[in-house]
Amino acid sequence: MSIEIKNLSCVYGVRTPYEKKALDNISFTVNEGESVGLIGMTGSGKSTLLQHLNGLIKLKSGSVKVFDIDLSKRRPDLMKLRKHVGMLFQYPEYQLFADTVKDDIMFGPLNFGMKKPEAEEAAARAAELTGLNWEDVKDRSPLELSGGQKRRVAIAGILAYSPDILVLDEPTAGLDPLGKKEMLDLIASLRKTTVSTVITVSHNMDEIAEYCDRVIVLSDGKLLYDTTPAKLFYEEDLAPLHLQPPHAVRIVRLLENKGIRLPHDVLTEDQLVAAIKEYFSGGGHA
Amino acid sequence: MRNVAFGQYYPTGSFIHRLDPRTKLFAGIVFIAAAFVADSYWAYLACYAFLIFVILVSKIPILQVLKTIKSVFFIILLSVILNVFFHHEGKVLVSWWKIKITAGGLLYSGQIILRLMFLVLSTSLITLTSTPTELTDGLEKVMSPLKYLRFPVHDVAIIMSIALRFIPTLMEETDKITMAQKARGAKFDTGGPFARAKALLPVLIPLFVSAFRRADELAFALDARCYNATEARTKMKILRFGWKDLTAFLFLALFLTVIAFFRSGFFGLL
Ligand SMILES: Nc1ncnc2c1ncn2[C@@H]1O[C@H](COP(=O)(O)OP(=O)(O)OP(=O)(O)O)[C@@H](O)[C@H]1O
Ligand SMILES: [Mg+2]
Repeated sequence: MSIEIKNLSCVYGVRTPYEKKALDNISFTVNEGESVGLIGMTGSGKSTLLQHLNGLIKLKSGSVKVFDIDLSKRRPDLMKLRKHVGMLFQYPEYQLFADTVKDDIMFGPLNFGMKKPEAEEAAARAAELTGLNWEDVKDRSPLELSGGQKRRVAIAGILAYSPDILVLDEPTAGLDPLGKKEMLDLIASLRKTTVSTVITVSHNMDEIAEYCDRVIVLSDGKLLYDTTPAKLFYEEDLAPLHLQPPHAVRIVRLLENKGIRLPHDVLTEDQLVAAIKEYFSGGGHA
Repeated sequence: MRNVAFGQYYPTGSFIHRLDPRTKLFAGIVFIAAAFVADSYWAYLACYAFLIFVILVSKIPILQVLKTIKSVFFIILLSVILNVFFHHEGKVLVSWWKIKITAGGLLYSGQIILRLMFLVLSTSLITLTSTPTELTDGLEKVMSPLKYLRFPVHDVAIIMSIALRFIPTLMEETDKITMAQKARGAKFDTGGPFARAKALLPVLIPLFVSAFRRADELAFALDARCYNATEARTKMKILRFGWKDLTAFLFLALFLTVIAFFRSGFFGLL
């Protein structure tokens, strides 16, 4: 078990007029190799939940355990935790600070105790993983790169210290459709090669359907569903959450109204095309 | 608005909250003046009695108000140290090498603490009970006679309200950037002063970059809407004095009278 969360609650601004219960009795576990999608309306507590996984918010009630680091114990080893759990914030390109891309990517590795040459090597490797041309970008200022490139630099800055779990807060927000696709493919390929366990926040159900094996739905700080995308999108009523199912699911529903029944595990464009072909090439009619 | 510690608006809907901002600004000036007029411990007692009364009426938890002192703690500490060591008057209590501490110096430092705390508390009460918009509206009205001296009153008011508006945003941003760098293993609380100052760079640089970006975007947005701060604009909420303000003024008059009595030591009786 990589992550184990039990009865986690979090209240902001205790005893002020701005008091807000951001997380309410959340429990779930994440196993190694899983790709978990975290969804919910704006303000439902997703970012707050992620920040707990990195010990960035002081744990007040409940327990959070990542590998053997127990945050409910006294003085947990936060550096070790942060090295294990690489966390990408919303709009990470606004957090780049160094003069050169190289220095920015090396920031993490150096903080976690790597020596300079080692850190530089790790930085180069991480940059290439994200599809950046290291020789090209390493001496440039991060500020003069394009939005998509900046985000790659930000991700490289995390991959460079080889975390075991990746936690991504809306990694595709604000990118154009191509940039989005590239980012998601990057994450998918990282899962095969470097980090197998990924938790992603997204507002895009198509992305969740395509890239996650599991979805967790938060609503107003409570955990509403913890299930597979197929179950969530076909069996649960998402209207009260103001969530639109993925396009493929909506098309399957429309076809159903016309009497064409496709299997209820179709979640992506490719699967939809395959299912329709299958349906019309035989078997299906009957 | 997330951080209430810095004397930001704390809504309770009390009598004080509903006063005209100009009344509150004026009361602030009266309180500041009182702090300087007061020259005895009795006078300070009176000042604090009035202040506590106002806090009670405002329904803001006293602890919230007291928190605002934190921001000026070092200034208070510094002036106390200076006065303890350099204000020489009355009986000498400690005398060692060149250092001399006198009874008068201690008493005087005590007064300095009371005076500074009173200044901070009474002014934070204004920001705790008025929204930034109310405050700038009030200030604009109060300063409006300066218009005749070609002073750009409205521009200044707008600049102030924008600055006030962005304080919480920037604080939120600082929070976020700090967290992001911590996630990458940044440490802010280890090493000597130089190392600590250097550790702040990864937060300060992105913060400045984003502040400039925001300023730029805002300027474009204002420009795109043909914004012209000097045109006569009308207000949605017009400020009006009411009976509440009258009550407040009567209260202030009472306060001033009391302080004045103390000033002359009850006409020399004390
Ligand atoms: N530092 C903070 N202080 C006070 N309240 C906060 C703070 N951070 C978040 N909140 C509040 O807690 C709630 C949950 O916020 P959170 O950022 O976790 O939501 P989210 O699900 O990530 O939303 P989004 O999709 O907009 O990113 C919100 O109501 C928010 O206003
Ligand atoms: Mg969020």
